[in-house]
Amino acid sequence: MEQELEQQTEEKVLDRPRPAIEMATTRAEQEPKDLPIVFSVRDLSVYYGDFRAVSNVEMPIRRNEITALIGPSGCGKSTVIRCFNRMNDLIENARVEGRVEYHGVDLYSDGVDPVEVRRRVGMVFQKPNPFPKSIYDNISFGPKIGKYKGNMDDLVEESLRKAALWEEVKDKLDESGMALSGGQQQRLCIARAIATSPDVLLMDEPCSSLDPIATLRIEELMLELKSEYSIIIVTHNMQQAARVSDRTAFFNVRLSDEGQRTGYLVEFSPTEELFTSPREKDTEDYITGRFG
Amino acid sequence: MTNAQDINLHFHQELETLEQTVLGVADRAEQMVQMAVEAVTTGNQELAQQVIGLDDDIDRTYFSVHNNWVQLMARFQPLGSDLRKMSVLLHLNNTFERMGDQCVNIAKITNFNAGLPRVERIAGQIQEMGDLVRPMIRAAIEAYLRQDLDEARLLPAMDQPVDRLNANMYKEIVAVGGDPQQLEWATKMLMASRALERLGDQAVDFAEQTVYLITGERAEFNETGLDGSTDDGSS
Repeated sequence: MEQELEQQTEEKVLDRPRPAIEMATTRAEQEPKDLPIVFSVRDLSVYYGDFRAVSNVEMPIRRNEITALIGPSGCGKSTVIRCFNRMNDLIENARVEGRVEYHGVDLYSDGVDPVEVRRRVGMVFQKPNPFPKSIYDNISFGPKIGKYKGNMDDLVEESLRKAALWEEVKDKLDESGMALSGGQQQRLCIARAIATSPDVLLMDEPCSSLDPIATLRIEELMLELKSEYSIIIVTHNMQQAARVSDRTAFFNVRLSDEGQRTGYLVEFSPTEELFTSPREKDTEDYITGRFG
Repeated sequence: MTNAQDINLHFHQELETLEQTVLGVADRAEQMVQMAVEAVTTGNQELAQQVIGLDDDIDRTYFSVHNNWVQLMARFQPLGSDLRKMSVLLHLNNTFERMGDQCVNIAKITNFNAGLPRVERIAGQIQEMGDLVRPMIRAAIEAYLRQDLDEARLLPAMDQPVDRLNANMYKEIVAVGGDPQQLEWATKMLMASRALERLGDQAVDFAEQTVYLITGERAEFNETGLDGSTDDGSS
């Protein structure tokens, strides 16, 4: 045995055969579990007149997950998020090609009522936009239009509680929603979106006009809400996407032969993967600031 | 050039400076292994003292790197390969600081063994371990600098003879026989053997970090010694 050891130590180390190396692959462990698909986007392109704003997007949106859409200005991420509740219908000359399936139903087929779509798929915008009405009326407005038959007081309280605003406003429900702080107004808008019992919440840069504390509160709220809703968020803040989302879609923009800037989906990955070891070089260049 | 690009250029320059500082410690550790082994095998206490002094420099650099690392994270919140590099540099800063400590452990034995008769065979084995560990540190540095996955993956094989020599050291000490002074000298050298074995493991750890930096995959070079010794050298 001793002789054998001596002989082995005299061998040239680099000439030895390479040992079996056990690679502890963690990427698979990081992947979120595949929850049921709420939206299935297939070969989606959106045009404004002749201009193709975004092309050939393919991605699933899963239940009880937060999906972030990131990318440089003009990459089409806001255009894409507006497809999920047919908000692009409201823009003149806007045209959608491809399919957006909601629980297997083509969202753009003739029989689908866009108003019902927007009830099920609520939206929160960049700038808080409460109605110039009382806090109570802000919440009850949508359910009233939808001829809600339950107890409205209970619904208002439940919606404000879910939006983590109840404790702050319960004694001033008759006061104007416009009198609240920016962060409170945004939570009021979230409560308003929740009041119509949607199963998806779309958020288009919901924190871009808020201070860091209010931003953190909205982010915490999103994490609480995802147990009941599927959330899609457009954000310019990559750290925000990294903090809150389960999956992230990175969009980029390319110049077409006709000189048009068209957005396209570069990578759709579990968030942890996308922000630590993205698959695509374009993603890496963008998130490390080497873009352009 | 836009402001955003200015800021990112600034970040990447600072990241490069941080990286060079950390790798400089690895160079220093390689040099200290040679000095410590020579000191302990020849009984050169002056050289041993130099090793201890160099480690003080490493300790100061460790805190400086750590402070700069925190500043960079707070100011830039890097992502992607930049985030991986930041993670690796924080890990390596700690690893290299501990390599310096191991060299000090070896150097201090020189003082403990002063005046005791040395055992040539054991001194030769410690020297041999040092001659194996230094190329490991060099290979790990080169693998990092060249981003060479193949070279990084050679490190576990390079570590095997170090582990074997360390495991064999017990037998060498038993073979010393009944001279109490020689036995005392030899027993202290067991600590030097153990420190060199740890230095080999730390070079392997360095290579694992390089694999992560290049691939984004956490690699664990999972090898047990031929005699069944575990990763921490215990039997």
